[in-house]
This record gives sequence, structure tokens and C-alpha cells, in this order.
Amino acid sequence: MKIFLSFARQAFHNSAVYRFEFWMRLFWVYLLMYSVYWVWKTLYTQSPGAFGVSLEQMVTYAILAMMLDIVLDVGPEWYMANQVRTGAIDTDLMKPLDFHFHMLARSVGEVLFGLGILAVPSFAIGYFLFDLQPPGDGSTSLLFAISLIFSFFVLFHISFLIGILTMITLDIRNIAWAYYSLISFFSGQIVPLWLFPDALRKISEVLPFQAIYYIPVSIYIRNLKGTAALQAVGLQVFWAIVLAFIARWAWNRVHTRLTVQGG
Amino acid sequence: MDGLGLYFRLIRVAIQARLQYRADFLAGIIGVIVMNTVTVSLISIMVSRFRHINGWTMWEMVFLYCLWLLGHSLYSFFFWHIRALEEYLVEGTFDQFLLRPASPFIMFLAREVQYIGIADLTFAALGLSLAYRNLDLQWTGVQWLFFGLAVIAGTLIETTLVLMIACISFWTGRSRRASQLLMRLNVMVQYYPIDIFGYTFRLIVTGLIPVAFMNYYPTLMLLGKLDPQSPWSWLGYMSPVVALILVILASGIWHLALRRYSSAGG
Repeated sequence: MKIFLSFARQAFHNSAVYRFEFWMRLFWVYLLMYSVYWVWKTLYTQSPGAFGVSLEQMVTYAILAMMLDIVLDVGPEWYMANQVRTGAIDTDLMKPLDFHFHMLARSVGEVLFGLGILAVPSFAIGYFLFDLQPPGDGSTSLLFAISLIFSFFVLFHISFLIGILTMITLDIRNIAWAYYSLISFFSGQIVPLWLFPDALRKISEVLPFQAIYYIPVSIYIRNLKGTAALQAVGLQVFWAIVLAFIARWAWNRVHTRLTVQGG
Repeated sequence: MDGLGLYFRLIRVAIQARLQYRADFLAGIIGVIVMNTVTVSLISIMVSRFRHINGWTMWEMVFLYCLWLLGHSLYSFFFWHIRALEEYLVEGTFDQFLLRPASPFIMFLAREVQYIGIADLTFAALGLSLAYRNLDLQWTGVQWLFFGLAVIAGTLIETTLVLMIACISFWTGRSRRASQLLMRLNVMVQYYPIDIFGYTFRLIVTGLIPVAFMNYYPTLMLLGKLDPQSPWSWLGYMSPVVALILVILASGIWHLALRRYSSAGG
């Protein structure tokens, strides 16, 4: 745990070093909040009946999903691809620390940086600017927090698997674009799943991606509540465990291969 | 002209180098097709739900996206690696360019090609021709000429914006995140007609970071959606001018950055 914390702290500091980049990111977050707000507001004004939720819920959904995408997606796969390309992966493997664990710690540090410095303050300001929905009562908030932790686990392990894939085969850039667009589509990050046509919604329900943004954000806006919300979190836990196992298995296989190649 | 000749010679080498990796090529093509299909699906989900988006029908939205994509495809074919300038600097590859007896800018530009741009190009051409037929368009020669200019302007606008952001790394050492976020803004503009956004946003994508000139304004002109009553309808013709201004601006920043880099490097 101590090692974990120190790696997380290191990643936090790494993110904090680049001030200019931080200000750029902040600027864009506000710009995106603003534009996402207008897209849904325009659509809502045009046909208020087509949503199934209130304008406030819809705008909150869209902005929260956008913000989580920026904060949770810290891209361990890019780090891995880069380490392999430059050969620096050697030094990572020589550390007396499990690589999977190391990547998890790094990502947690970066996510905490993003959440604390970027997401929470921006969301609070967005609350005044765009009439966002405030957090619900204690139990809803608690469930949202738990759900958020598992959505991070799911996203992290999918990214980690992509990172492993780039280690054995390909240039990451080529698969990255397909991967990100599939995630943003099936996770309901841009258009919430309840607006999908039936066939697509059924597909997205059997994929793990909805556990990333759709479930936590739907819980936040209380479109998922009661038993349905608990079931949804259960589904997240299921995917987090399954993906962690697959990632672990894939990593062990690749690790042996890397070691053999190394001599 | 000498520089241009050198550029194309080097590009040929870059293409040959790229052709070494077949699997990579295939993965890239599939990736890009998946990405574009997802985008068009999102557009059609939205439009089928709401029938039109602020007066834009399904095929008008497809036209808007594919016009953006066509300009973007040329950018991604020839200039994709500009965003990687940061890595060139960190790894010292850029220093090699400075040592050679040719313009470092040409050496840098001709270094790589990303020929998955071909998939974008195909997708955009297909989408535009379907939209052309479904919207019953009958363009005159002048409109075709303007269409060609608008595509080239789109390429130049995206290229110069990415170049200017990449130049940040001459000062700060990093620019990757900043250019990723430019992508995100670009994504908003490529999906939606900017008239659904508020005034400030339209002002930003028109005046400050003029990505709206890649597709929105020329689309208004090409689809006959310009409002003759509006005092701003002339913006529909401005894409080539905007592109020219950006080229001049980017070239200035590049030279400034280069002078600073050389002096810092000792």
C-alpha cells in the first residue's frame, strides 16, 4: 500500500509540473462544457418530448460524461506503447514491483489529480453557469462514488489490455482511433444509451463499455435508481473482476515472452 | 520550387518506408473505417430521434461531416506527424534536420506519411456523393471550383493550427495534451452545425480558432443555406482567405520558434 501511494503521488506530481498544459486543459474543459450544453439545449428546445428525462438531467448527463472522459481516461496504453518503443520498459520490469500494479498506481495518481484539480471545481462552477443538477441525497451520492471507482477499474483494465496488445503487435496510433470511438459510442459518453435504437441498445448492454460512463452518470442524474441502480453497480463489479482477470492472464503471458526475448 | 521537388522526393521515400508494414496498414484502414462509421451512426441516431437538428436534415449533416473529413484526410495523409514534434525534439531527431543543408521545415514535413488517410478520403468521397445525390444538388462550374478551394483550405486550416500548437513544445517541451484538446474541439465542429451553439462558441470557432471554416461556412455556401439577409453571409466565401492568413501566421511562429530553439540548443 505504501508503494502504491508513493507511485500515485509521483504521478500526481508529474501532472502538476506542467502548468501551461494544465491551463490549456482547463480552458478546453470550459469550452466543452459550454458547447455540450448548447447541443442538448437546442435539441431539447426543439423536441422536449423525445428525451424521457428533464433538460436539467440531460445537460448534467452530457457534461458529467464529458468531464469523466477527460479525467478517467489517463491513457496507460500510451505510456506502455512508449516504453516498449523506446526500450525503457526494461527499467520498469526490473523494478521489484509488479508492472500491472505499477500502472494501476500511476493511473490512480493521475485520475486523482484530474478529479481534484479539474473535475470537481469545474463541475461546481458549471453548476452555477449551466444549471447542473446538484448531487443527490447521501445514498445516491455514495452509490455514485462506488460506481465511479468501478468505472475507473473497468476503463483502466480495458486500456491496460490495449496496452498489452500494442506491446505484442502494432503501432498503437492505428488501433487507438477505432478503440476510442467504439468506447465513446458504446459507453454512452456522447449520446446516452436510452436514446439508442433498440438493436444498438441491446448490443451495448452486453458489452462492458456501458460500465464506464453510462452507469455512473445515470446514477448521478437519478435516471437509474433503487434496485435498478444496485443491479447496474453489480454489473460494473462483474466486469471489473472479469477484465482484471483477463488483463492479469494476458500480462503474465506477455511478460514471459518479453523476458525470453530479453535473453 | 527546389524545396517542393525535395519535398516530393522525400515523401516518396516515406511512403516506401511505410509500405514495409502491411499489418499496420490493414489495422489502420479498419480502424479509420470503424471510427467514421461510429461518427455517422451517432449523427443518424441523433437525427432519426429528432428528425432534424436546428433545420439541418440527415443528408445535410452527412455533407457537413464529409466535407470536414475530406479536408482532414489530406491533412492526415501528409501532415499527421506534425503533432509528434514534441517527440522529435525530445529524441533529438529534430537536431538532425538542423544539420542538413536543406530547410528543416521541409525535412520535418516530409519525414512521414500516414496513409490511413486513404480510408478517410474514400469514406468522405462516398459520403459526399451520396449526400449530393440525396440533396438533389446541381452545382455550377463556379461552385465546383469553390468546393475544391474549400477542401484545400480545410486541409491548410487544420495543418496550420496543429503546427502552431505543436510549436508550443519548442518553449515548454510538451504539447501533446494541447493538441489532443484541439482534436476534441474539432470533433464538436465536425459533428454539429455551429449554429446550434451559443454566440461565444461561434465567435471562438470563427475568429479565434477558426475550425468552422473547414466545413460549416463553405457548407452554407455549397448547400445554398446562406441567408442573404444576414450581414454575416460573406463568411460563407471566406475559407480560402482564412487559410491564407493562417499559413502566414503559422510560418511566422515557426520561424520564431526555430530561432529560439537553435539559440537554446547552443
